[in-house]
Amino acid sequence: MASTVVAPPPRRGVIRDPVLLLPLTVAAGLAVGWLAVREQVSGPRIAADLALAWGLAAASLVVLERPRWRQAGWLLAATAFALLAADLEWATSHVLWTLGFVLAGLWAAFLVQLVLTFPEGRPWSGVARVAMVAAYAVTLGGQLVGALMAPDARDLLSVASHPTAAHTIDRAQEFAGAALAVTVLFLVLRRGRGLRGPTGRMQEPLLLAAATTAFAGLVWLGWVIAADGRVSTLETIARAVASTIPLGIVAGIGWSRLRRPQASELVVELRREAATTMRERLARALGDPTLDVAYRLPGARYVDADGRPLELPEGSERALTTITVGGEEIAVLIHDPALLDDPALVESVRATAALVLENERLAAEVRSQLAEVRRSRGRIVAAADAERRRIERNLHDGAQQRLVTLSLALGLEASRADAAAAQVLSRSQDEVEDAIAELRELARGIHPTLLRDDGLPPAVEALARRAPLPVTVENTVRDRLPEAVELAAYFVVSEALTNIAKHASATGASVLLEREPATVRVTVVDDGTGGARIKPESGLAGLRDRLEALDATLSITSEAGLGTTVCAEFPCGS
Amino acid sequence: MAKRVLIVDDHQPFRAVARELLESAGYVVSGEAADAAEALAAVAADSQDAVLLDVQLPDRDGFAVATALAAADGPAVVLISSREADDYGLRVTACGARGFIPKSKLSAATLAALLE
Repeated sequence: MASTVVAPPPRRGVIRDPVLLLPLTVAAGLAVGWLAVREQVSGPRIAADLALAWGLAAASLVVLERPRWRQAGWLLAATAFALLAADLEWATSHVLWTLGFVLAGLWAAFLVQLVLTFPEGRPWSGVARVAMVAAYAVTLGGQLVGALMAPDARDLLSVASHPTAAHTIDRAQEFAGAALAVTVLFLVLRRGRGLRGPTGRMQEPLLLAAATTAFAGLVWLGWVIAADGRVSTLETIARAVASTIPLGIVAGIGWSRLRRPQASELVVELRREAATTMRERLARALGDPTLDVAYRLPGARYVDADGRPLELPEGSERALTTITVGGEEIAVLIHDPALLDDPALVESVRATAALVLENERLAAEVRSQLAEVRRSRGRIVAAADAERRRIERNLHDGAQQRLVTLSLALGLEASRADAAAAQVLSRSQDEVEDAIAELRELARGIHPTLLRDDGLPPAVEALARRAPLPVTVENTVRDRLPEAVELAAYFVVSEALTNIAKHASATGASVLLEREPATVRVTVVDDGTGGARIKPESGLAGLRDRLEALDATLSITSEAGLGTTVCAEFPCGS
Repeated sequence: MAKRVLIVDDHQPFRAVARELLESAGYVVSGEAADAAEALAAVAADSQDAVLLDVQLPDRDGFAVATALAAADGPAVVLISSREADDYGLRVTACGARGFIPKSKLSAATLAALLE
């Protein structure tokens, strides 16, 4: 996980002050320049090397200011010195010449590592790691082996002068170098495609420079391989092109700074009353469209502004910045790690956003709790429905079965008994019949079998048939609906028809079941006296809870003399 | 000749009363079955004029049994239930049964009316 704490600026001793790098590289550069002039090296070549070395040193100073990029900063400085060390081959001293020979390619390996680990110091991928190791093997390893058999009197490491072997090693290095250049070019282009936001802005110039340099290196090595020898002009050009790498790094930093608001502007932006969420305001203010806000709830849970659960990401792809109020964590900003390069900016976000975020956190907590209550209410209704179904089944399989058998037995005995006994038995049978009928009504009211087996329209039609007044049913529901919706809709029709029969003095009623893409609407209309309303203790009021658990609405329109319309609408996608 | 009837119901006391009721009215009860599997086996093994078939059986429902018997050109099926026909909607008429009698209304007369 990336750093979550904004570190104070590091204290440095005079000796370790990176600014010293500058006079050091200037001095070393001048010394190497003097060697080159004495050896009559071409002017452009000296200029290219000094430009690259001094450019690298200057860039290292800029980069070392950023705590996250210290490794890249030191690599830049190391590359500068390695480049100047390679030029020691212009020295007459055998020791210096040998050193220059061995270190001849090290700066290129440093550059490969710098590019492939930029900005955080870890290789981009497994392939990048392999490419880095290969770069060191080809440059440092290759030169060391070459030094053992170089046909040069100044070579102190020479074991045996072996011109053919030395030439073979040179060729192998050239081929491997070309392959490496292709690999780096590929990796850089792929990296460039996947970047966006602040990280992208910051790295794009470097990637462009690295791709150009890899290409220039490839052209130079290709030419060397084709011509079987050194081509000094192309080598000079490749080195000159490499100076775009330190330039690219500095340009990236400048570019992302330019695009980023200052801390003071941010405060104004965040305090502005706006219809947008805090997440949107922060994302805009920090120039990071990927920014997310995770609000912390009790129990170390995190939710977004709508109260939906959220997982904090792991790994270095995203950085986390904790926002606290009174020492207590209230939210975590999930953002592009590049934002951490400006500690003052992040610090001002913390200071400014904390209170607003605390308000939003409370709102998110309420939303989360509301969602939980809603889910739990749905579960309670579902559990009650399952229980209703069980009770209906038990009534039917138990008491009803036994009463039916009893009724039949009484009838049978009545047919065999004498007149007086038969009369008693018949009356008993009638009583049992009534009990069966009442039990059946009770069971239907608890959980209608027809609804469970055949769905809403047949069950509503059965209700209409049993009603004591003419009821017409119109229906556009063709598919089965969720069980909870069917049951609630059925109870609405059942309750409305009961009320009509009891209170409305109506001559007829109609039921309308309408299926629309996202809703199911149930309407019951009568032509009675009207003036009805949902009383707190009524059956319809009791149904309201059931409907609200489904996010459904129940309305009643009832003007005196104009009949009554009861309408329930259920959200229900098809 | 007396009509042969198979009684299918998972409630043994009901089967006993129904048997007595039918036999006292001159029917021959060819057998009893407690579930759909037994019923289908009994129909295959024996010959009946009618099957008195409960809708709610432990293994399959009576509508499925009635549909199977109608498809095989089997004996007439009369559905019985402690619920009313209205509780089952269109399936009562769609399954190929001869008719439906609520159990509490079962008698030789109601059965004969359907079998005539």
